[in-house]
Amino acid sequence: MITPVIFIILCLAIIITAVLSLYFKDLVACVVSYSVLSLVLTVVYFYLDAPDVAIAEAAIGAALTICIFIIAIILTRRHEE
Amino acid sequence: MKLGSLLSLVLILGFLFVAVLRLHPVGQPLGHPGVMKDRGSAVTDTANIFTMDDYYIRNGQAETGSNNIVASVVFDYRGFDTLGEATVLFLVVSSISMLMYTILKQKKIKKDHFFKIYNFPTDISRIISFGPYLLYPIIIIFGAYLVAHGHLSPGGGFQGGAVMASGTALLLISSLFTIHIQRVRRVFSFFESLGLAIYIGLGFAGIGTSFLHNFLAQGNPLFLGRAIPFGPNPGYLNSAGLLPLLSLAIGIEVFFGISVILVTMYHVAMDGDIKDAQES
Repeated sequence: MITPVIFIILCLAIIITAVLSLYFKDLVACVVSYSVLSLVLTVVYFYLDAPDVAIAEAAIGAALTICIFIIAIILTRRHEE
Repeated sequence: MKLGSLLSLVLILGFLFVAVLRLHPVGQPLGHPGVMKDRGSAVTDTANIFTMDDYYIRNGQAETGSNNIVASVVFDYRGFDTLGEATVLFLVVSSISMLMYTILKQKKIKKDHFFKIYNFPTDISRIISFGPYLLYPIIIIFGAYLVAHGHLSPGGGFQGGAVMASGTALLLISSLFTIHIQRVRRVFSFFESLGLAIYIGLGFAGIGTSFLHNFLAQGNPLFLGRAIPFGPNPGYLNSAGLLPLLSLAIGIEVFFGISVILVTMYHVAMDGDIKDAQES
């Protein structure tokens, strides 16, 4: 009974974090918001009975992509001008 | 122009909406209701099978000996697609190494960094510099578990390799070891090629029937050929024929490939004298 409510909250959180990752001017904040998106998406995949996709999303979306993005951001300036 | 983009947006959203409405119900086979009922001892049982899902659910365990139907689809029924994915990853690693080569060539590993491992860094937190040493073995063990049990539990070569590569990313942020990990970039590159070569070699091992034929599945019960019963069960580690070996090959390839990407990009970004490298 309570699980559809949690599921809808998770889906709204995905949309909110996706919009936030476009909205921020600070690139590191964008990347952290994208990481939160991947983390919430992992829970949604696990809820939808796809645990192997959830593992792949947690490892690649929330860890490796963020690491590569942050290494790329080191080579740029911090704030958008 | 604006009308065209609006129209294409409406079309894409309409397609997505229709796709969501016609999604597969979660956790239920789409076809015949008797697909999960008990089946005979025949290897391939095609009675009451009308969709592709039903075929995999009813025959996947008997044909491939793998309890994880997703792994049996990924490595056995659609093994050639997995070879394509592994090749794409190999191509990505190669192109990133090629792009970064001109910058890497001008960066020399400084000699005074060599003994830095004995001096604890004072400018970063101890949690960042020592936390990875505690977490790294746990992450590697979890990734190796995912690779080794790919045919029994959720996971597999790609997921386990990605988890182990996130351990490499964790090791990169602990600056004690970072100076030395870029020395082993060639070793990582060698093992990445070795994983792909093992996958292709195992594919050619069953060339008598077809490429990537699972010739070990119903073979010797002592060597990866043990039969498993139908339905939910814990399974055995020495079942599923070629699947654990292919999973191991993909795990090696993904782990070392993504590690090469991370180490190369970190080495390029390190020390911040990229502008001097471009000018000279």
